Amino acid sequence: MSEELRVSPIETRGKAGTRRYAMVVDTRRCIGCMACQVACKAEYDTPLGVNRTWVPYKVVGKYPTVKKQFLPRLCNHCDDPPCVRNCPVEATYKVEEGGFVLQRYERCIGCRSCMAACPYNARFMLPANRTYTNITNVVDKCTFCFHRVTQNLVPACVQTCIGRARVFGDINDPTSEVSYLVARNATQVLRPEEGTKPHVFYIGADRNQTEFGRDAYRQREVMELDRTAFKNHFNI
Amino acid sequence: MEMPKLTRRTFIKISAGTGAAVATLPKALNAMEAELGGKDLGPVTMAERKAIPINCHVCNIQDGAIAYVENGRVVKLEGNPEHVSTRGRLCAKGNSGMWYSYDPDRILYPLRRVGARGEGKWKRITWDEALTELVAKLDAALKEDPNSIMMKYGRNRSGGVVDRFMKTLGSATVVNHTSVCESSKKIGMEPTWGPDIETPDFANTKYVLNFGSNILEAAYFHNPLSQRITEGRVDNNMKIVTFDVRLSNTAGFSDEWIPVHPATDGAVALAMGHVILRDDLQDSTFINTWTNVTVDELKAHYKQYTPEWAEKISGVPKETIERIAREFATTKPATLFTYRGPAKHLYGSYNEKACMMLPIMTGNIEVQGGYCLPRGMGWPQPSPEPGKPAHDSVLAHPPEYPLAGHKVSHLTPFFIADGRQKINVYFSYQDNPVYTNPGARAVWGKLFKDEKLLPFIVSMSPFMGEETALADLILPDCPYLERWEPESMPNSLWPWLGIRQPVHAALGESRENRIMMRDIIHKLDPDGKRGMKQFWNFKDGEDYMRHHFDNIPGLKEAGGLDFLKKHGVWPIYGKLNPKTGKISDKTGREIRAEYGLHKKELSAADMAGAVAEKNGVIMKNGKAIGIRRDGKNYVGFSTGNRLINVRVEQWAEYGFNPMPTFKRIPWHETMKDDEMILSTFKINVHKQSRTAAVKWLAEIMHSNPAWMNPVTAAKIGVKTGDLVRVETRAGHLVTKAYVTEGIHPKVVSIPTAFGHWEYGRLATLKLKEQPKFGGADDPDLKNVWWDDKGVHPNDIIPVVADPIGGSQGWFDTVAKVTKAGPNDKYGDVQGDWDKHYEAYKETLRYAYTGDLHRKMHPEMASWGGPESVKAKEHGGH
Amino acid sequence: MGDYVWFHDVSWHASYAIYFFVIGILAGLSFLSYGSWITPALRPLREKAAYGSMILLAIGGLLLIADLSQPQRFFNVLNPMYLNFTSPLAWGALNIVAFGVCSVLYILELRKAPDSARGKLLALITALLALGLPIYTGYDLTVHQSRPVWNTPVMPVLFVALAIASGSAVGSLLSGGNEGAQRVLREYMLWSTAGVGVILISILGTTNYGGSAQELTFMILTTGTIGTIFVGFGMLAGTAAPVAMLFLAHLRQQTSGLVVAALLILVGSAALRYALLMGPQQLQTLY
Ligand SMILES: Nc1nc2c(c(=O)[nH]1)N[C@H]1C(S)=C(S)[C@@H](COP(=O)(O)OP(=O)(O)OC[C@H]3O[C@@H](n4cnc5c(=O)[nH]c(N)nc54)[C@H](O)[C@@H]3O)O[C@H]1N2
Ligand SMILES: Nc1nc2c(c(=O)[nH]1)N[C@H]1C(S)=C(S)[C@@H](COP(=O)(O)OP(=O)(O)OC[C@H]3O[C@@H](n4cnc5c(=O)[nH]c(N)nc54)[C@H](O)[C@@H]3O)O[C@H]1N2
Ligand code: SF4
Ligand code: SF4
Ligand code: SF4
Ligand code: SF4
Ligand code: SF4
Ligand SMILES: [Mo]
Repeated sequence: MSEELRVSPIETRGKAGTRRYAMVVDTRRCIGCMACQVACKAEYDTPLGVNRTWVPYKVVGKYPTVKKQFLPRLCNHCDDPPCVRNCPVEATYKVEEGGFVLQRYERCIGCRSCMAACPYNARFMLPANRTYTNITNVVDKCTFCFHRVTQNLVPACVQTCIGRARVFGDINDPTSEVSYLVARNATQVLRPEEGTKPHVFYIGADRNQTEFGRDAYRQREVMELDRTAFKNHFNI
Repeated sequence: MEMPKLTRRTFIKISAGTGAAVATLPKALNAMEAELGGKDLGPVTMAERKAIPINCHVCNIQDGAIAYVENGRVVKLEGNPEHVSTRGRLCAKGNSGMWYSYDPDRILYPLRRVGARGEGKWKRITWDEALTELVAKLDAALKEDPNSIMMKYGRNRSGGVVDRFMKTLGSATVVNHTSVCESSKKIGMEPTWGPDIETPDFANTKYVLNFGSNILEAAYFHNPLSQRITEGRVDNNMKIVTFDVRLSNTAGFSDEWIPVHPATDGAVALAMGHVILRDDLQDSTFINTWTNVTVDELKAHYKQYTPEWAEKISGVPKETIERIAREFATTKPATLFTYRGPAKHLYGSYNEKACMMLPIMTGNIEVQGGYCLPRGMGWPQPSPEPGKPAHDSVLAHPPEYPLAGHKVSHLTPFFIADGRQKINVYFSYQDNPVYTNPGARAVWGKLFKDEKLLPFIVSMSPFMGEETALADLILPDCPYLERWEPESMPNSLWPWLGIRQPVHAALGESRENRIMMRDIIHKLDPDGKRGMKQFWNFKDGEDYMRHHFDNIPGLKEAGGLDFLKKHGVWPIYGKLNPKTGKISDKTGREIRAEYGLHKKELSAADMAGAVAEKNGVIMKNGKAIGIRRDGKNYVGFSTGNRLINVRVEQWAEYGFNPMPTFKRIPWHETMKDDEMILSTFKINVHKQSRTAAVKWLAEIMHSNPAWMNPVTAAKIGVKTGDLVRVETRAGHLVTKAYVTEGIHPKVVSIPTAFGHWEYGRLATLKLKEQPKFGGADDPDLKNVWWDDKGVHPNDIIPVVADPIGGSQGWFDTVAKVTKAGPNDKYGDVQGDWDKHYEAYKETLRYAYTGDLHRKMHPEMASWGGPESVKAKEHGGH
Repeated sequence: MGDYVWFHDVSWHASYAIYFFVIGILAGLSFLSYGSWITPALRPLREKAAYGSMILLAIGGLLLIADLSQPQRFFNVLNPMYLNFTSPLAWGALNIVAFGVCSVLYILELRKAPDSARGKLLALITALLALGLPIYTGYDLTVHQSRPVWNTPVMPVLFVALAIASGSAVGSLLSGGNEGAQRVLREYMLWSTAGVGVILISILGTTNYGGSAQELTFMILTTGTIGTIFVGFGMLAGTAAPVAMLFLAHLRQQTSGLVVAALLILVGSAALRYALLMGPQQLQTLY
């Protein structure tokens, strides 16, 4: 992609000499084991009630031809992230080298604009209580495991992915595994119409399932009881 | 003005970003894939965390893992990248194992009951007080009858310590949990081909037939095999077909889910065999060379099992049976897998055998991509070793079930109530029958509360499980992260030895099993006069491990225990390749397993003094060591005659059908229209009764509504979330309905692991209370947002025992499901001892000694009856 | 239970809606205070309105800060090193502070010389800054591209209209029996509230014809609790009813029943703020 094609100056996809990390999630390989979700919780001592990554699923079809579809979710580390645009104090920002969208916990005022701005529910407010980490009452999100990747380790969720559905790497490098997968398979991103240029690429994700359908209502009914409990707890 | 500002700040941003010191990206820009683990750092501190290789034991798949320690606390668990089966990955449970250690409700010092059993009143006592009290009881019991000291264990991975303990005491009353587990699968397989499990080569196969295993969530071996299944599915274009009564994640992932009427897999499998043999698609050479029957015998025998017949029984269309059978027989390589689905029924052993016949008759045995033998490794025991107890125990080997090599543990309460074995001291080790067994509270709860039948109950457990809550004395064992234990599991095609080692000192006053048992024995025999102490002469857990590992050929040269302490596993077959996620050898090629184990040839040394009989069996001092086929001396299979026994003679001795067969469950045939079958299952994020207090798993799943098909739900007028009343012959419960397309209309299914009434504050959602037994609270528990803990079904599931395998028929219960009435409250559970006792009496009638046995086996009319077999004398255990 | 779906908290809770409500009224009052320099009939309201908006600013400011999870870091917003000009919130903060300063000066001037030319100038500046408040709060929602209903250009206009309506409503309550003021305020209320009605209808219309997200948002806004609040209190009781009453009064050139209309408008604008804030967020929690 040439400079001119970059809508926002902070986009680094295809920018010579910089890395642009991306994750490929191959839904054909996802078995819904939730290992990624728990590994991430452990890596960051993420409190109950919030998640940096989660794996919702839907039961689709009619008896006896029924399937389960899993859709691992996390921050898309958008190349043109609305969350960053909306933060009044640049407490959330994009790292040019690598494309990570990160938080400055010590600066965040907790106005939640970034949460409102993210089309993917990737952000959350940290509660006051955590097991051993003292960063609380600020917004947090997936960091693409910045601290691991900078040590040449894959993210925790990728590391433990039983189905090897999650693959991570530099998509600016044409010889990387992620580049290969994106080149060789039809990929989808979530809500492309939002123009956020997500850098989590899905293989085999059916947009009829990934987007809201009337299904949102069915789920509501299915989940009503848990949902009420959740709402009560967070007084939504 | 944006652009320059942004770049100018990039540096500050990175440094401020994670609140960490300046971090820069690794330099090499050429295609270097990031490493798949082996190292971890704190996201805030950026400090590298201390890595200690261990062996996971959140469940029993035994993956190799690494514990990462920061400030003396395990903060992260990861798969061991050097482990050939695990390849660096852990499941959700494995990732949260540290919460076994840091469970705020963990028991950290010995407790003595004060007040009535189960009243929940405890007094902290010292180890010395505890041991003194216990030893007094043991002394008395030993004088009366060593067998009156009973040990019931469940998930025992002590590597021989528990047996050594009981042998030292001279008691044969040792009961495991395998009959509620998968035992009829084992018994279905062992007499036929030797081992108790198969290892399907999923990564290299083209076709998988899965009968009732939920391998992508549970089964043996969830994590390692799931990895291979996704590989096969995507990298190797394999097809997978799953038979299940409900849409498990495995069924949901499969190319085809075929709902089958409960307990009828055997019929479907036999019909497939019928099609294969009828159309001459079998592998005749394999059958004639490696089994104890001929193709013609098989063809003759399978004639009766037509697809039409199977369709009537199983509800699987005959067209589907024909099609799948042909696909399976004509796609090479193909493999098959089963787990508890077919096995946990009245005649589960027959079902299992019927299934395993398919890979056998198609010759898919021990070939790449096929149905392979398990690969494991053993280790020597420290000597001297205590001998066999003087007398066998009726509880360990009930004479009604001579073929049940893995015991019949779930009938124990009734045997004890019938006075067949007096118990003075009852030891419970990693076993929670009060929750996990059929009858639960109504049966085991009643037994545990009965101070006449069980005068003294000792629970060796770190957690206040339902069983421990009813104990008289609690000795706090250590969770797996604080134990020394030897390991080996055939969880891939590569054998390995592994180790569990403490990641930090045992918390509080807890003592790991081998130390605790040593201390008991030393207290009992301080000066060795009783001859018990001699078997317990080791310094500590590590010293004990040296006896296991320092003299194993190969490992010894590599460094013995020290190698295992450093790497966690041996041998190391290669390096985890970040580009493929597979293990590569030095040349960078993916490692390849060894196949055709049964075709290993005997060495000249082996053959010295051996003779081949005319049927080819090679005998050496009274034992079959191999089989001669077309001039070669092969080791064959580990059965009595080194062959695959399609015909199992022992079974015939007891009036069972020695050939592949199917028996329909009588009470299923007479089911009324408004009756259903109550089934149960496991889910990916929980482990039996053990994980209800693990917050990350409880958050994902904490309640267990009853699955129902929309058709059934409509009939009784309920929708998801409505209360339903489930009634069986043993009692009733009231729970919520979960209406889903993913279940057979005749089945209502309730998962296990929920609805605890003990097991700490999180499991029971009593978070207002404080930790009671020395544990430190977890502030995060203030964030618990759910308020539903589920309803456990076991109280209303009656016992059923497979007359061959002795296994519990978990999936056979007939139930009536109705919309809950005005007086039904969510969580009502009511089971009744007398009704459970009736069920026990009824199931005995199917045993070879029972009156219904003959009725169920008209084809065995020529059998001489129970009198014709003189009960075999069993060894201790 | 059953299917596994992860839930998400909404970004902004009810307190933020109250803030919008208060901001709206105080902006409306500053308009009136300035209006009193042009329309003599409003003269009696000049000081009352100025003080009123001053007090409400204090309350609103506190609400805004209290709504932050890190209130003590509020001044980060004013830190030029941190300032992010693409964030409406950043602008909003500056706007509020500027408004605060001006209205203080304005009130001081009023106490010194109630009718000075400088007073009029300050009134104008204050009013213009006040205009910025509903506009920025509107943008605060509009900029969220992925949220149906929020992401519409009329949102700031709607908030301005609501400010005029609720401000005038409070004004009419403050103006006591003053006929002259009542007449003027009646017209303000009538046309601004009518404007609100028109905007709401156009928003609902376009929303209902959008994609699945829009459709679902429409359903959430028109059914259940949110539906009652939005349609019942917001559109019918809080908009249609007062418009009808005021229009009749307008035809008859009366000022009777103004108090009721004013109260209804206040209830309505509160309800609308709540529903418009929470409704679209409800949907997002399901995604
Ligand atoms: N996550 C997790 N993994 C585990 C465990 C755990 O507790 N949690 N436990 C471990 C242990 S001890 C064991 S024994 C294994 C058990 O592993 P599995 O046997 O794979 O799991 P289960 O849920 O016991 O039963 C498997 C399936 O049998 C289905 N089923 C019931 N009746 C029938 C039938 O008549 N026919 C067919 N075809 N299917 C039927 C159930 O719906 C269920 O999906 O899992 C091991 N792994
Ligand atoms: N409804 C239903 N019931 C089932 C099943 C099902 O699928 N559905 N599955 C069946 C199967 S396959 C099996 S294998 C059985 C398992 O049945 P069990 O073996 O009885 O179950 P566990 O949950 O493994 O036993 C846990 C107990 O061991 C103790 N414990 C936990 N951790 C430790 C430790 O580290 N050290 C020591 N010393 N003790 C510990 C605790 O007190 C706890 O109560 O359940 C069976 N029950
Ligand atoms: S770990 Fe991998 S396979 Fe498991 S749920 Fe997450 S993405 Fe899917
Ligand atoms: S909550 Fe924190 S990160 Fe999010 S927009 Fe506000 S200040 Fe920025
Ligand atoms: S997914 Fe959301 S949080 Fe992540 S970068 Fe994109 S907009 Fe920001
Ligand atoms: S990349 Fe890291 S932070 Fe993001 S979801 Fe995966 S594990 Fe969590
Ligand atoms: S399957 Fe999971 S819990 Fe069981 S041993 Fe493996 S990683 Fe541990
Ligand atoms: Mo089991």
